[in-house]
Amino acid sequence: MQQQEIHNFLITYFQSNNCEVVENQPGYLAVQLTVQMDKELMNRPFYWHYLEKTGGIPNPMSLTLITDPLKAPEDLKGENIHFGSPRLHQIFQSTKKLAGFIRLYEDTKSYSTGQYPLYPWLCLNVKVSYQCDRKKDVFISAGLNLISGEILEDFHHRVLALEVTPKIPDFSFTLSPLIMPKSGLSRLDTFIRRTFEGDDHSWAEEAVKRWDNDLELLEHFYEDMEEKSESYYTEKKALRAQYEPKIDISVVNGGLFYLTDKAV
Amino acid sequence: MKINITFDTAWEEEFLHRAEEDGPWANWELFKLAVQIDEYLVIPDFEGLQAPKHLPQLKPLPHQLETAKQVVENMNGKAILADEVGLGKTIEAGLILKEYMIRGLVKKVLILVPASLVTQWAFELNTKFHIPAVVQRKSYVWDSCDCIVSSIDTAKRDPHREIIFNQEYDLIIIDEAHKLKNNKTKNYQFAQSLKKKFCLLLTATPIQNKAEEIFHLVSLLKPGHLGNAALFSEKFKGKGRGINDDQHLKELVNTVMIRNRRGDTGIEWTKRIVETIIIEFSPTEQALYDAISQFKPASADGVGSSFSALTLQREACSSREAVYYTLKNMREKNENPAQPFLDVLDHLSVKVNEVERNSKAEKALELIKKIDDKVIIFTEYRATQLYLQWYLKQHGITSVPFRGGFKRGKKDWMKELFQKHTQVLIATEAGGEGINLQFCHHLINFDLPWNPMRLEQRIGRVHRLGQEEDVKIYNFATKNTVEEHILKLLYEKINLFEKVIGELDDILTKLDIGNIEEYLIDVVGASRSEGEMKIKMDSLSSLIQFAEDMKEEESRAATGNS
Repeated sequence: MQQQEIHNFLITYFQSNNCEVVENQPGYLAVQLTVQMDKELMNRPFYWHYLEKTGGIPNPMSLTLITDPLKAPEDLKGENIHFGSPRLHQIFQSTKKLAGFIRLYEDTKSYSTGQYPLYPWLCLNVKVSYQCDRKKDVFISAGLNLISGEILEDFHHRVLALEVTPKIPDFSFTLSPLIMPKSGLSRLDTFIRRTFEGDDHSWAEEAVKRWDNDLELLEHFYEDMEEKSESYYTEKKALRAQYEPKIDISVVNGGLFYLTDKAV
Repeated sequence: MKINITFDTAWEEEFLHRAEEDGPWANWELFKLAVQIDEYLVIPDFEGLQAPKHLPQLKPLPHQLETAKQVVENMNGKAILADEVGLGKTIEAGLILKEYMIRGLVKKVLILVPASLVTQWAFELNTKFHIPAVVQRKSYVWDSCDCIVSSIDTAKRDPHREIIFNQEYDLIIIDEAHKLKNNKTKNYQFAQSLKKKFCLLLTATPIQNKAEEIFHLVSLLKPGHLGNAALFSEKFKGKGRGINDDQHLKELVNTVMIRNRRGDTGIEWTKRIVETIIIEFSPTEQALYDAISQFKPASADGVGSSFSALTLQREACSSREAVYYTLKNMREKNENPAQPFLDVLDHLSVKVNEVERNSKAEKALELIKKIDDKVIIFTEYRATQLYLQWYLKQHGITSVPFRGGFKRGKKDWMKELFQKHTQVLIATEAGGEGINLQFCHHLINFDLPWNPMRLEQRIGRVHRLGQEEDVKIYNFATKNTVEEHILKLLYEKINLFEKVIGELDDILTKLDIGNIEEYLIDVVGASRSEGEMKIKMDSLSSLIQFAEDMKEEESRAATGNS
């Protein structure tokens, strides 16, 4: 993530959360937090607890974030934000927490007059992690048409091209799903698993080889001991934790999208 | 092959609930950001390092990056990091820890270090790596914090011991791990009982000399890697063989150990430029020194006397204040002083009072003015330290004191003052865990320590990674005194000052001279004549020379083999 991208990201984040961006200059920005965002980011529960008990006037903090120390004024007081900074990762976490679930409608306002039926799609964005003593991730986005059962890959990026709105537009109506969300999710689950089923899983085989090798050494080390000591079992458990290959699917976010016939 | 797959179901439940309740739903912009974040944070490959792009302000050196990569890719996260001193093992360990944290493979971390380094480790991890490492102070932190720095001596004791055994640590880092070479010690058994999914053992002391020690260390990391105890001792025990004698063993060790050598790192070390400045006493100073040289206090027991006489002589080379302080102590300690003893002390006190100037301090002042840049002055004596601070102030030069006994906060504060506001730092004790002052490159040794390791530590404060200038070292020695003897006979002979960081460390370890300082006191104090002293000093320096040659040969052999 480049510093400029981080800057833009922060602006979008604060604006989407109704915080006023007081200053937006090359290299830095200053925002006035809302009460809600102060609670979300500033970690001062006692202050808010006290205020609510005494009925005082809330005074949420403002934040100055420096995204490029070279461009920002030298005497500016603020937090330096870069890709590894704890504040940025806190905001990442907060974004994910606040944006887990969504429902949107395709905006048909600008289309020629007429009535538009909107088809329900169930979207799931997931991160698939391949893990042993090493790790890698793959991002997968999939959408399921809850009427036809059609599944599309890269669904999120397809929706990005559309105009969408949180309110159902005039002259549009939604079609009732034939597939219920619960069974829809299980179809997507199956689909996602199938995407990597045929993949090359030599990484896992290699990990098991390393595991077996270390196990063999361990056995050899404790060979002379008739009654194995506790450290033997601890080591054995540790080797499992270290090497055992597994695949973990975690949901980033997802939700319902009501789209016109030819939208995606 | 069958691989275990887990799917997080919490999202599903919450989603179905919200679908039922018709919301609340997220903002589209935030939703897009969340996806964008994950696309950024996805780890595209099993190989390579992610940590550097999370740490833009850290500038790791090539060998440090290579080491981190090796440990993660080829050593499966279990390694002994045994770089020579001064190459940045802490940075390597920090990089590896960060890498595993970013990859989500490590969450719970236990870092065991010597007590004196606990705060420094926590500080470095927090500031350089943005890892929220916490210093263990109360027993509840074991449960509530993910990354803890503690001393092994605390950790192995109850009630901590039990609590620690109940934690599931993902990574364990042990600094100064060469202290765990003996498998009979409590510390070793404690370390052995820890569950080690990933583990880093850090050591700077070369351990490859004794096969058994390396066996225990490797067995801690990877039991069985060097076979079991019975087999190993059958092969090596009592033969006093080093692992270098056995090619196979050496190769095995090298698969779990990384030892970067200064020469291989390709780092251009700045030079050390040494200048010896011989100072002549003023007549009154000379009179004091002479009076002390004739003085044999409490001549009843031989060792003590030569020790105090020598101490006083050395102090007289530093400042009259240092002498005065010791005389005062001698008077107070001695409960029933004999009259002649008191007479001598009085006589010496008179001589102290007659000294009207400090020739060394004058020279130092002149030098500091000429340098016109940051200067560190090291002295052995606190009285001299105080005097110098006062003296420099009289001449409009600002300085800050520094002592090993300062608390960490005060040390950091003094360092900051020195860096930002004052020209001179006057330190009495270098201390292994002192401060790093690579922003300064002038060092005055106002008086010389008799232990070369201490001198090396002094220089190591400024001549270390990150020093961009050549380091200028000025050694003060007073003409025709013990000081000049030590300087000429020991330091200059072995070219001590020009040695590279850490080299001396290796050499002295090899020599196995328990306490070089005591040895020197013996040589200087007990020698009956100048000639005897010279011979003894010569033999010491040739011994050091011999160890050095041995080391060079060894490293040549090592490079030849690999």
